[in-house]
Amino acid sequence: MSAPDADGWQRTSPFAALFYIGKIYQAIAKNAVQSLAPLAAFLVAFQGDMKDKLAIGIGAFVLGTVILAVLRYWFFRYRITDTSVLIRDGVFKRTQLDVKFERVQAVNTEQNVVFRMLGLLTVSFDTAGSSGQEGYLPAIHAESARELRDRIRRVPKPISDAANSGEKADRRDAATRTLLRLTAGDMVRIGLSSNRVFLLVVLIGPISEYMEREFGEIVEESAVVEFLTQAQTGLMSGLAFGLLLALGILVLLFSISIAGAFLRFHRYELVADEDVLRSTGGLLTRHEHSVNRSKVQSLHASQHVVLRLFRRFRLRARQASSGRVGRGSDFIVPICTGDLLADLSLEFFPQEFSGLSLDPRAPGFERISPYYLRSRIVLIGVVPALVAIALFWNSSGIAALVALLWIPACAIIVWQKYRRYGILYGQDGLALRSGLIGFSVVAWLHRKVQRVSVTQSPFQRRRDLATVRIFLAAGSAIRIPYLEQAKAKALRDYVLYRVESSEVAWH
Amino acid sequence: MFDNREITLDELPAADDVEWRSLAARYVRRLQVQSLITTTVTAVGVVLLQAAPLPITQRWLFGLAWLLIGASGVSGLLWPFVSVPRKGYAIRDKDILYRSGVFWRTVTAVPFNRVQHVETSSTPLDRYFGLAALQLFTAGGSGGDLKIYGMPADVAESLRLFILEKAGASIERT
Repeated sequence: MSAPDADGWQRTSPFAALFYIGKIYQAIAKNAVQSLAPLAAFLVAFQGDMKDKLAIGIGAFVLGTVILAVLRYWFFRYRITDTSVLIRDGVFKRTQLDVKFERVQAVNTEQNVVFRMLGLLTVSFDTAGSSGQEGYLPAIHAESARELRDRIRRVPKPISDAANSGEKADRRDAATRTLLRLTAGDMVRIGLSSNRVFLLVVLIGPISEYMEREFGEIVEESAVVEFLTQAQTGLMSGLAFGLLLALGILVLLFSISIAGAFLRFHRYELVADEDVLRSTGGLLTRHEHSVNRSKVQSLHASQHVVLRLFRRFRLRARQASSGRVGRGSDFIVPICTGDLLADLSLEFFPQEFSGLSLDPRAPGFERISPYYLRSRIVLIGVVPALVAIALFWNSSGIAALVALLWIPACAIIVWQKYRRYGILYGQDGLALRSGLIGFSVVAWLHRKVQRVSVTQSPFQRRRDLATVRIFLAAGSAIRIPYLEQAKAKALRDYVLYRVESSEVAWH
Repeated sequence: MFDNREITLDELPAADDVEWRSLAARYVRRLQVQSLITTTVTAVGVVLLQAAPLPITQRWLFGLAWLLIGASGVSGLLWPFVSVPRKGYAIRDKDILYRSGVFWRTVTAVPFNRVQHVETSSTPLDRYFGLAALQLFTAGGSGGDLKIYGMPADVAESLRLFILEKAGASIERT
């Protein structure tokens, strides 16, 4: 790190080049075709045998990225003022970014293996309303990062959260409290419950199909050769082999997933620090994420099949998304018990969570109208089935009636979804439970709502029902289907009242 | 002094007991003209295609195209008579309400103290009819910010200023 010049502009550590190399590779991975096209074009044009081409290609590629990374380090300057971090970045296209402390929602850090040995950190800032252009400081000393964070925290925010001053003093006594430490067992649970594994299992489908074909051939051959006993053992061993192979692949997938959990969450620790919750974790690269309690818009607890077996939940706290939809600003607790889930919801919404719960089995969840069943079964069950019969009647005749089977299958799913839906009315907010096989519960505070809408379909109008949509600053609209009309309208009017009489900032 | 009277649900102002203000009547005409223009342009395109010496063997496709053009032209002329009267807005002290939909009827409410900014916009066709659209932006990536088409341009502009003032006042309070 160079000493600041007269104006206070300084460079980061030269090791920042490492950070940029990572970033460049990421960019290349994202749009591989465009970024590698020039190199590929050159290689095609270049005369020589394959080996030379490859060597030159790889060499040019590595050299190019290294030069680019070093250049980016060289041109990167930052300056810390009393109110903001100024960043000058870019080799060809120069940009200057002004990260105002008061707009910083969270300071996140990342530390890979090399940086950890050198005591360096990469700092990135979550700011409100800056889509795409996030500020980051690559490879600065851990000490200056801590200083910077303290400084940002000391800046009085223009907006104040609920029930502040008095309570804040209480919290300061408690300084930092550790809320959760994940163990190796938790890593295994996270790995086993990863959605990605199930995605990969789907990919095994084609392989099993191939194996089936193989078995088919074995059976045919055996019939021809009439070595019945021998063939049978052949079939049996083939089956056993197939099963073993499938099992092996499954074990491999789960091991990869568990290893991934270790990589991401090793020594995961969740800490409450005044009005900030902070998580650190990771085996090689240590990630640190923080979230300001008052910035959280909604809490999502989910429990799918595997997590249900483990009696664990996954919690996502969503912050105001700045235009870009997606993960980005979600604060995630990968795994926690029911008790901790209750504690954590109180951490996020300290005084306004009364009557609410993120536990899908909590008492007090109210059902939606049973007319939901009827309309859904008709809409996605009966109508498509009849259409299918009409379409295939000419070609398939009576066999077209098979489509009728769709109706009970659909009815079961709709029934299950209906049973999952539940609404929990709290003092200051609402919790909505939904799901099919697993559970997911989302809870939010009325005063943070941005917009409400009430919709009625022709069918709902006849039955005095309505669907309410709640728009929060984070994520897409939350849909509460099939409420009684009076209830839906009362809910809307109450939410509007809470929003419009709220003197507390929602962000 | 701090006052914290208990609120019973019946006391809350209901967002349905409002007098809906309808959109400008000429918005119907404007929609019809637009549909007429698009229909005509497509029709001319199909005529040219049909007349061109192209090796198209599936001539029945043109019949289908004319059917679709006819259907969309007729519905484009008739539908505004049905849909526009169903749309309307109401301004209350603390929020704006917008209703729309013929079959699926929706009432959306946007509190002024959640409005980030307000915009009016108009296409050349809008301006010919003296119309403008009012768009209210709230926080969040959910898109689909409230956009009300077919307001008289002067009403849209004065509403924009009114809502801006309301939104600004609420920001100062917090």
